[in-house]
Amino acid sequence: MTHEDLEQLIARTAMGERAAFADLYMQTSAKLFGICLRVLDDRTEAEEVAQEVYVKIWRRADRYRVNGLSPMTWLITIARNTAIDRLRRRRDAQPGLELAETLADTAPGPEEQVMQSGERAQIAACLGELNANRAEAVRRAYLGGETYADLAAHFDVPLNTMRTWLRRSLLKLRECLTR
Amino acid sequence: MTGQPPYDEDADRILAGEYALGLLPVDEASEFEARMAREPDLRALYAGWAEGFAGLTDGIPEVAPPAALKARIDADLFAASPSVRRPFAGWRGLGWLVGGAVAAAVAVLLVVNAGLLTGEPELPGYTASIAAEDGSLMLAASYDADGGLLYIERLAGTAPTGRALELWLIAGGNEPVSLGILPDSGTARLNVAEELRAQINGGLLAVSDEPPGGSPTGAPTGTVLASGKITPA
Repeated sequence: MTHEDLEQLIARTAMGERAAFADLYMQTSAKLFGICLRVLDDRTEAEEVAQEVYVKIWRRADRYRVNGLSPMTWLITIARNTAIDRLRRRRDAQPGLELAETLADTAPGPEEQVMQSGERAQIAACLGELNANRAEAVRRAYLGGETYADLAAHFDVPLNTMRTWLRRSLLKLRECLTR
Repeated sequence: MTGQPPYDEDADRILAGEYALGLLPVDEASEFEARMAREPDLRALYAGWAEGFAGLTDGIPEVAPPAALKARIDADLFAASPSVRRPFAGWRGLGWLVGGAVAAAVAVLLVVNAGLLTGEPELPGYTASIAAEDGSLMLAASYDADGGLLYIERLAGTAPTGRALELWLIAGGNEPVSLGILPDSGTARLNVAEELRAQINGGLLAVSDEPPGGSPTGAPTGTVLASGKITPA
């Protein structure tokens, strides 16, 4: 599936074409289900979340691109956010994470650049440039849904220190990713 | 010098990253979203992070979900009213298909009247939803049910340079079916194939921009510029 193929499927899904939605599911469900399983580490929950994810994809297909994400990233972000939401609710009833893939009714920006997969591939290398603990913190936040408080507890540092660490790491990462 | 402190892009960069990771408290996250809705630059920063972080899933093994999952999803989405397609997203939904500023500048007006062209004004007509922004593309469609002829009158607007406008019928859960290429001006007379005629009422007409001569694939390949649902008047 190329970027363009996926966009076509999402566009046709937005137009209410079930066949396109079925195709989209066929092409992406193993990837997204894998993410749900990895985040939740529980098959039943992962199935429930994957179901929720595809319901969202159908319903929000017309809002794809509001944030200028590439199609795979859009799908991954919905899966990741929905899984993290579930994980956080399971963990301690933390408020949900209704992140930007839900952002509705905003006109697309003029020429929002769609970052391409090059940027995705780079992340591992760029995390590798960070101190191991700091890279781990980014991973724990993204794939483990950990908050600053969780991270501070895990690394046994004060909350503010954790925040400062992570923010610095983000700047370094950004610098690396756009290099 | 007085005035605002210099714009701190690093601060926004960090904020967008924290948001993408889900590290912001709820109130700050909402605030960020509100800003993002207004500020394309901020959306771009967020998109950059989302692309980067999505790469963290690259190493996660793919796992095929159980076969029953798709059926459950379909049941969630379609079971309640199997005959009713998800309503077409309409104008707002088309915004992203159209892209950017063009979204607000294109509109289609479709009036489909079964009796209009057959001299039977007493027949109930069909009208399509009207989405008028500045009306830079406006089409009026009228359908002669007896002859299976669809007349598309160009009221305003043109295809993007070097492109053609192609008209599609989308009925029920079916794939879009091309009804033909629209001429650059004037009224087009399109013969609706017999098997499609029953689908006109309640169907959706959509206009996409395509290479000259029309979509090479038989399905829309360009952006959908406008659409209108055909409903009884």
